[in-house]
Amino acid sequence: MAPRRPYWKGYLKLSLVTCPVAMVPATSESEKVRFHTLNERTGNRVVSQYIDSVTGKPVKDEDEAKGYERGEDDYVILTDEDLESVELETVRTIDIEKFVSRDKIEWIYLDTPYYLTANDKIGDEAFAVIREAMKAQNVVGVSRVVLGRRERAVILEARGEGIVVWTLRYGDEVRPENEYFTGIDKKSDAEGVNALEKVIKKRTKNWSPEMVSDPIQESLLKLIAEKKKAKKPSKKTAEKSRDDDKTKSDNVVNIMDALKKSVQKELKSRKAG
Amino acid sequence: MTAHRAQWKGHLKVGELTCAVGLYTAASTSERISFHMLNGKTGNRLKRELIDSETEEVVERDQQVKGFETGNGEYIMIDPEEVAAVMPESDKMLEAEAFIPCGDVDDVYFDRPYFLVPADEEANDAFTSIRDALSKTNSTAIARTVLFRRMRTVLIRPHGNGLIATTLNFDYEVRPSEEAFKDVVKVKVEGEMLDLAKHIIGTKIGDFDPGKTDDRYETALAALVKAKAEGKSLPKPKPVKVSKPNDLLKALRESAGMGSGSSGKPKAANANSGKKKSSTTSSKSKTTHRKAS
Repeated sequence: MAPRRPYWKGYLKLSLVTCPVAMVPATSESEKVRFHTLNERTGNRVVSQYIDSVTGKPVKDEDEAKGYERGEDDYVILTDEDLESVELETVRTIDIEKFVSRDKIEWIYLDTPYYLTANDKIGDEAFAVIREAMKAQNVVGVSRVVLGRRERAVILEARGEGIVVWTLRYGDEVRPENEYFTGIDKKSDAEGVNALEKVIKKRTKNWSPEMVSDPIQESLLKLIAEKKKAKKPSKKTAEKSRDDDKTKSDNVVNIMDALKKSVQKELKSRKAG
Repeated sequence: MTAHRAQWKGHLKVGELTCAVGLYTAASTSERISFHMLNGKTGNRLKRELIDSETEEVVERDQQVKGFETGNGEYIMIDPEEVAAVMPESDKMLEAEAFIPCGDVDDVYFDRPYFLVPADEEANDAFTSIRDALSKTNSTAIARTVLFRRMRTVLIRPHGNGLIATTLNFDYEVRPSEEAFKDVVKVKVEGEMLDLAKHIIGTKIGDFDPGKTDDRYETALAALVKAKAEGKSLPKPKPVKVSKPNDLLKALRESAGMGSGSSGKPKAANANSGKKKSSTTSSKSKTTHRKAS
């Protein structure tokens, strides 16, 4: 994957030590094969544009404004510059106020992971000091930061040469497990557990990204590559896509077959293994 | 066994043991404050319209079709409903393919958690055996099945009296941390600097309940909106003072001094502070701001 532009730029702070940092999401949908919306008549991509709801006219980018609704049909326009003035330190500073051992944070609270690195030479050493001290103490940092107009609790975990930042779910976003787990016996059958422990030990493996491959994406990519090769590089025209009903249905049928095959293969290979 | 509606029903299989189970959403996402898009000139609300990228004509719903890009602006048209329809009926079997020690799991792949619950009384024995065998071996199970119209990998682990199944992101959706950090300048940290930083951290080790954090952004934004509406000048953000490499040791020494001086009482402003009051107001007002177009 290509390096990405920072998603968030700001500062990392531990007591009186502050350094500039940048953050990127650890996950991205950019490599996923996606559907696009096309105009059936021309075969061109369809894009969205803003129009004024009263005049019905398209609105230029520079005239687009964000409105905060104070009351019905009563808006206060906020510019990006205005938003910079929100008086909350966590908008641009991750101040690590507390440290806890990693196992104190249940997995169910982990929401979205980001990678944090120093954003300027000036901060390289301070960043490294904070990171290495967390490793040495075997703890994760706890802080807050505003991301996407929400102030999130985050934990910071040193990993390799960087820090992984996890946003945590709010308390009301995690459903109460008791409502789901009531009625499940606390005790279990010792003999059954023993037998399963043997199965588990025999089939224990190391984590590998191969465990999260996507057979459907793989066959789609192959198929698209074939289509690309087969097709002339000429640009499609309205006439062509209209006359070309047969080609269209061929494409559809081929994709269906490929999908069906890849899923069945996957289900079968799993059974065998 | 619960009043909630299952997202998925099927069987969990580990070794020779099988039991009927259901998957239930364990976490939801609350909405953030959203703005409405306006025309700055007229003050009117904006609407979205879909237009042809080349002819710029409006494309009505019945003229919209789906397609894959094959590169160079070439597309294959396709009907996504047919794609969904062609997915074979899943065998509805979550079968453990492999087991991974808890500490060996790369959590960066985590997507969404689901409570995994036995479907009926009969399933209880097998279910509790699986749960306790995983917990005694400190292991998680990897299983794959057709879930929500995709072939998904889930990680199953014991949690309280039940199990949690977390869907995992696909390999191409996750950027490995080694790759993200490969350009970081290597700095050796040792001696007094490291000792001081360790000491500072030591004074700040404590308890933390993630469930008790509130969102203070909405309150801060409301204050800003009020100031702007009243025509007051908005405060300029204060510049942040960055520690210079030459001053780093001094900053660490001062921080360490501060920490030990007030060790009995950790400074306020920790992540859980001020929870009571603002958490109720923020959750209430969350519903009043609907999502913008």
